[in-house]
Amino acid sequence: MKLPLGYLGFGALVVAVVVTPLLSTHYRTFQFAFVGIYLIALLGLNILTGFTGQISLGHGAFMGIGAYTTTILVVDHGWNNLLTLPVAGIVTGAVGLAFGLPATRFAGPYLALATFAIPLAFIGVLKRFPHFTGGTLGKQLSPLRSELGLHTNPSLWIYIVSWVVALLMLAVAWFTVQGRFGRALRSVRDSEIAATANGVSTAGMKTLAFGISAFFCGVAGGLFAMAVTFVNPDTFPIDLSILLLVGVVLGGAGSLGGMVFGALFVEFIRITWGPALLDLFGHVHHINTRAPGSSLVVYGVVLLLVLYVAPAGVAGLVRRVATGRRSVAAWAKPQAAPAQDQA
Amino acid sequence: MKRTFLLLAAAVLASAAVVVAAGAAPSAAPGVTAKTILLEGTFPLSGPASGYAPIPSGMQAYFSYVNKKGGVNGRKIVFKFEDDGYNPANTVQLTHKFVEQDHAFALVGGLGTEPQLPVRQYLNDNKVPQLFVSTGATTFDRDWSQYPWTIGWQPDYEAEGAIYGKYVAKNFPTAKLGVLYQNDDYGNDYLRGLNAGLTAQHQNMIVATAPYDLSSSPPAAQVAKLKASGADTFVIFATPTPTIQSYVIATKLGWKPAHVITNSVSATDSFLTIATKSGSDLTNGTLTVNYLLDPSNPIYNKTPGMKLYRQIMAKYDPKGNANDGLNLYGVAKAWNIVQLLQSLGKNPTRAGLMKAARNMNFTTKAKKANPFALPGVDIVTRAGDQFPISQVTLVQYQNNVFKPLGKLINGRGA
Repeated sequence: MKLPLGYLGFGALVVAVVVTPLLSTHYRTFQFAFVGIYLIALLGLNILTGFTGQISLGHGAFMGIGAYTTTILVVDHGWNNLLTLPVAGIVTGAVGLAFGLPATRFAGPYLALATFAIPLAFIGVLKRFPHFTGGTLGKQLSPLRSELGLHTNPSLWIYIVSWVVALLMLAVAWFTVQGRFGRALRSVRDSEIAATANGVSTAGMKTLAFGISAFFCGVAGGLFAMAVTFVNPDTFPIDLSILLLVGVVLGGAGSLGGMVFGALFVEFIRITWGPALLDLFGHVHHINTRAPGSSLVVYGVVLLLVLYVAPAGVAGLVRRVATGRRSVAAWAKPQAAPAQDQA
Repeated sequence: MKRTFLLLAAAVLASAAVVVAAGAAPSAAPGVTAKTILLEGTFPLSGPASGYAPIPSGMQAYFSYVNKKGGVNGRKIVFKFEDDGYNPANTVQLTHKFVEQDHAFALVGGLGTEPQLPVRQYLNDNKVPQLFVSTGATTFDRDWSQYPWTIGWQPDYEAEGAIYGKYVAKNFPTAKLGVLYQNDDYGNDYLRGLNAGLTAQHQNMIVATAPYDLSSSPPAAQVAKLKASGADTFVIFATPTPTIQSYVIATKLGWKPAHVITNSVSATDSFLTIATKSGSDLTNGTLTVNYLLDPSNPIYNKTPGMKLYRQIMAKYDPKGNANDGLNLYGVAKAWNIVQLLQSLGKNPTRAGLMKAARNMNFTTKAKKANPFALPGVDIVTRAGDQFPISQVTLVQYQNNVFKPLGKLINGRGA
């Protein structure tokens, strides 16, 4: 009885991916391309946070490394956009592994603080080597052009590319968390002592999880650079790393399908829902919704509301509805455990 | 395992095929209806540059005023602005929304060098006007032949830097300059201008330069370095927040430079007031330049432009701080946009708008000067000169008002 929900979910996702551009403006299609990109990043972070139980506040910078890899290869070395994606993943994965080695000596909140250094250092490094990175002014990719030879709209083209890669990466993530390897990852999350007693190298698994998650974020970053057509330090602010972690928690840490909802949240809260909610508040209370910083208030309120209604994320909520289980303890415990332990 | 994979592969291929088949794009009239004309822009309402948030409010107030009087050639102006948080990734998405979903007639006043750079090529490819960007980065005016759909408005940073150079070389020939500048195109434009204005002959007046990064902590180490260099003239080429911090840090370090020169972007009454209230005693005497009427200085209260500005603010933006020059900047820019739209007649086109922007002649001589600019400031573009505003006057901040020092100077002239 376990299979159908996952298969149904994947089938529904594929149908949604096909149908969405048919029903959307080019701009919405462009936004959904970003949903696919964020999905890849969240799948990666979820392997680290959801399955291995390690919190990272640095994965926005891993996206940045992927984005810069793609941009530098395309702009300075004349590579084809698409061919840079595996390189972006591998370079970022290598950086992730290297960071994973020392970082995994920390646990819980200490690790979160250590990873917080990644986006800070990343911005510093970008500005330190302006000849290589373009410095504050960044680097510009040429605008998107379809490589299909048809008169395909550029927004549709990046949508197709993003989602083909996203669905492939979803499959990769699915295989990663299956079987022995997946069990080993989860054992690190659930009990390090039990994992060690069973012959699992906890430090090794954590480091590997760091590398794999960074690989995902690197690929996502490469696509991000192609979609934005520009990279500079402001494009990868510390907020992005926090937003990615929020996306994992909201989607449901430890659930692959839940990351789709997390990705929708990451894309739409800043650009679409936040301003819309603000306008709504403005109509009701006649407050100045254009005051600086008011969007952040809405963002915080939404986050608190969602966590209150669905502490195990959207995936937990869906599972709760699907299985018809009412008891809070019964549905919240197995899924929310990793997030709550660390929070 | 195998079955799952095949299923996956089939699904991916099927989705790609259907998506490709759905390629055709609908076309829509760009932003002009029988009754309205749609203008949009991105501004930082949150994040490190949110100090600029009054600019779109001022623009909105002026458009409301024009709409109340019947609009432009019978159409009301609908102005929508969105918060990009000064993050170019957000600017790009919002700009796609303006063009592909809202079908804006033109993008107006988009704020910030880095946010506006990545959308420049996109807007030019789509032939959408990127009108009067709110940045003085020289490239937006200089590179007009490469980007015919893009134009700036305010005096560019390089020209402003040159004016400071000329001024100190002439008036304080023995001064020792310590220059704090933002480590990016913005700060470097200013620094390059300063060097050019000093000319090779006075280059040695600069005894120390200290770059800082916008994203790092307050520029304390940099200010300390400038103080230690023995500089007696503190030159600040920074954005508002680090500027305020620099004033406070210099005071706390006990540095008493004879002169402080601060770029016009940051040397507004509201920012200098914050610096004073935060404990700095160095704001008095600050030198900067201005090209617009200054709402914080009562000497302009009798001018028709200031009277109109205060009426507009009182009626259409009563919660805004009318003494903040950024509101006036927005109003003055909106005036210019309305003038262009009016000149297009009954059937405005995007190409017509750019043609009008490339041939502006809003001068005192033509009796069409911008009422919100300083008397004598002309807004002129013509073949070979696409820098709309080039004249400024040096002003000194004394007892909470800016006192003009002498006549208008053309930053791009000899």
